Amino acid sequence: MTTTATKVKTRRRRAFTRKDILTLSLFIGVPTFLHVFWVWIPAISTIGLSFTFWNGVKLSDIKWAGLANYNTVFTASPQFYDALQNNTYWLLWFTSIATPLGVLLAYQVDRAIRGHKIYESVYYIPVVLSLAVIGIIWRFMLGPAGLVQVLLGHPGIEDAIPIFGNYSINTYVILGIASWRHIGYIMLLYLAGLKSVDPSLREAAAIDGATEWQTFRKIVLPAMAPVNTIIIVITVIESLRAFDLIYIIYGTSTGWPILGMLVFVNIYGQAASMLGAAYAVILFLLSIIPIVFYLRTVFREDIK
Amino acid sequence: MSNEVKENGVSRRTVLKGAAVGGAGLLGGGTLLSSCGSDEATGPVKFTARTNDETGLKIAQALADAYTAETGIEVTMQGSGDTNAFQDGISQYLQGTPDDAFQWMAGFRTNFRADQGLLVDLSENISNLGDQMPAGFVSGATNPTDGKQYIIPTTWYPWGLHYRKSTMQEIGLDPEGLYNWDDFMKLLEGTKKKGLIGYALGDKGGWEAMGTFSILNTRLNGYNYHIDLLNGRAQWTDQKTVDVFKRFEMLIPYMNKNVLDISWDGMRDLLLQKKCGAIMMGSWWANDFKAQSQADYDDLWIVPFPEINPEFGRDSIDAPVDGMCAATNGTNPEGGAAFAEWCGSENGMLAAQAAGDTSLYANSRLDSSGYDAFNKQKLAVIGEAKNVMNFLDRDCRNDFAGPIVGVQIQNFLKNPADLNKILEETQAAWDALPPLS
Repeated sequence: MTTTATKVKTRRRRAFTRKDILTLSLFIGVPTFLHVFWVWIPAISTIGLSFTFWNGVKLSDIKWAGLANYNTVFTASPQFYDALQNNTYWLLWFTSIATPLGVLLAYQVDRAIRGHKIYESVYYIPVVLSLAVIGIIWRFMLGPAGLVQVLLGHPGIEDAIPIFGNYSINTYVILGIASWRHIGYIMLLYLAGLKSVDPSLREAAAIDGATEWQTFRKIVLPAMAPVNTIIIVITVIESLRAFDLIYIIYGTSTGWPILGMLVFVNIYGQAASMLGAAYAVILFLLSIIPIVFYLRTVFREDIK
Repeated sequence: MSNEVKENGVSRRTVLKGAAVGGAGLLGGGTLLSSCGSDEATGPVKFTARTNDETGLKIAQALADAYTAETGIEVTMQGSGDTNAFQDGISQYLQGTPDDAFQWMAGFRTNFRADQGLLVDLSENISNLGDQMPAGFVSGATNPTDGKQYIIPTTWYPWGLHYRKSTMQEIGLDPEGLYNWDDFMKLLEGTKKKGLIGYALGDKGGWEAMGTFSILNTRLNGYNYHIDLLNGRAQWTDQKTVDVFKRFEMLIPYMNKNVLDISWDGMRDLLLQKKCGAIMMGSWWANDFKAQSQADYDDLWIVPFPEINPEFGRDSIDAPVDGMCAATNGTNPEGGAAFAEWCGSENGMLAAQAAGDTSLYANSRLDSSGYDAFNKQKLAVIGEAKNVMNFLDRDCRNDFAGPIVGVQIQNFLKNPADLNKILEETQAAWDALPPLS
C-alpha cells in the first residue's frame, strides 16, 4: 500500500497522472475546440471569402475574385469613407470627451462629494441596459411624435424636428446617446480601480502640500496604470465595434453609416456578397491592434 | 421521389456550409432531422405572414383558420416581425428551419432564391389553379432561368398618387382632372398655400423614395430606359438620368422637412391625419384606413402619377405582385405548397376579403364587380398603363438596389447639390458589381 502511494507521489512530481491529463484535456481541450470552431474557423473563412465572389448560399458558387472586393470597397463604395469617418468621430469623441468625463465622475464619487451615492446610481443605470435597448428608448424619445418632440412643442409628425435624419446634428446626437452609457461604464471601472489605491498615498501627498490636481496627476494616475490601459483599449474597441445602436435607430438603410453596418448589410442582407467579408477584414485589422495591446497588458498583470 | 432526395441533399449541404461560415448557419441545426418524413401533404402546416401590423396578422390568421375549416389541416400562423429585417434575413431564414409557406414578393427576390434551390417548385400548383390564374400573373411569376414558377400570386397593388377626397375638396382642387406636370405643380402649390405638406415623403427605410424615382424615370425616359438603367444597359451619368433627379428636386420644396426621419408608415399617418395633400406610394396600407374607419377608407383615392413627357404619357406603373412561396427546408414542404395554392385560389381570396383585406386579387374568379370603389379605381389606374413594373428593388439585383440605389437616393435627398458626384459613384458601384451567379 505504502509503496504504491510513494510511487504515485514521485510520479506525480515528474509527470501528469492519467487523471490530470484527462482533466487538463477537458479544461483546455474543450474551450480550445469551441474557440477554434466558433471563432478561428469563421474568422479565417471570412478572410478567405473576402477574396471571392459568393452570394452566401451554395458552396459550389464560390468564385475566386482576387482583390476585386477590396478594390470595390476603396474605389467604388458610396459609403466606405463616410463610415470610416463616423467610426473615427466616434473614437475621437469617446477618447477625448466621454472617457475623461467618466474618469472625472469616478474621481468625484470616490472623494465622496455630497450626494455621491445618488450620482453613482444615476450614472450607472444606463450601463445595465444594452445599446440596443438604449437605441429603442432614444428612438422613441427623439423620433417623430416622441417625448422630446412633444416637449419642444412639435407633437405632430408633419412638423417633427429632423434629428436622426438631420446630417448637421445627428453625429452629435448618436455620440451623445452612446456616451450616456459609456460614461457610466468607465466611471464604474475607474471607481473600482480607485478603491484599490492605498488612501495613505493620498494622505501623504496632502500632508506634503500637493494640490488636488497634483495628487491626481502624480499619485493616482500612475497608481492606476493597469486600469488606464484597460479603459483606453475598451474605448477603442467600443468605438470600432459600434453597431447595435445604429441598427436599432436606422435599420439597415445606414442613415449614419459605420463599418459594422456595412459588414452586416453586405454579408447578411438580401444583398449578400463577399463585399461584406472584405469590410469585415478591414474592421478586423483596425481592431486587432488595440486587442493585442489589451491582451498583452492583461496577461502581464496575471503573471505579476 | 427523386425530387425529395435532392431537396434533402440541398439542406444537408446548407448545414455544412452554415457550420463553415459560422454565425449565419446556426439556425441550420434542426434541418436534417426535420426534413425527413414529410411525404404526406396532409400534416400540419406552418406559415409565416410577412407583416407585423394588426390588420395584416388578422387577415393571415383568417386565412389559416379558413384553410383548417375547409381541409381539416392544422395551420400555425406567425408574423414575420419587422418586415425589413425579415426581408434582409430571407436567405438565412430559408437555409435554416423555415416555416413551410410564407408570404413573399414576385420578381428578382423570388427568382434569385429559387435559383439557389431554397424554394419549392410550384408550377404544378399554378397549373392546378387553371383558369383562376390569369396568364399575365403566371408569366409574372415565372423564373426566367428555368421557366418554372416558385410563387403563387395572390394580391397586387398599384403605386400612384394617394390623396383624401375631403382634403382636396377643402382646397378646391380636383386631382382626378390632373393629367400633366403643370397641373400637378398647381396642385402642390395649392396644398402648400393651405398650410399642408404638398408631397409627403418618408425615406428613412431607404426604399420609399425609389417609387418616386422610378415613376419620374418612366415618365421622362420611358419604361425601356428605366429597366435598362436598372440592369446596367444605360448609364447613371447620362443626361437622361440627371434630368430625372432634376425633376425630383422640383418636388423637394413641397415635401415635409423630415423626409429622412420618417418611414412609409409616417407617410401613411400624415395622410390619415389629413396633414398632407398627396403621397406617392403603393396602396397596400389601405387596409389600415379601413381598420381606422369606413369613412376614412371611403375618403381615400388614387390617381396615376402625371404625365411629363407626352411621348410616354402615363404608360408605366409600379404594380408589385405579392404571393405565397413554399420553403424547400420546411418540415412539410408539400403541405406548404398545397396551402400556398389554396391561398391563391378563389376560396383563399374570399377568406382574406372577409377578414378586411382590400387588395386587388390575382385570381380571376374574383371579378371586379365584387370590388369596392377604391379597388375599382386601383384597377383603372393599373389598366391605363401598358408597362407593369415590379418596383425598383424587385426589378434589379438585390446587391445594387438596397445598398447602392437606396443609399444614393437618400444621399441625394440629403444634399441635392451633390447630384453629379452621387451619380458618378452610383455608376462606379454598378461597374464594380461581381458577376451574378
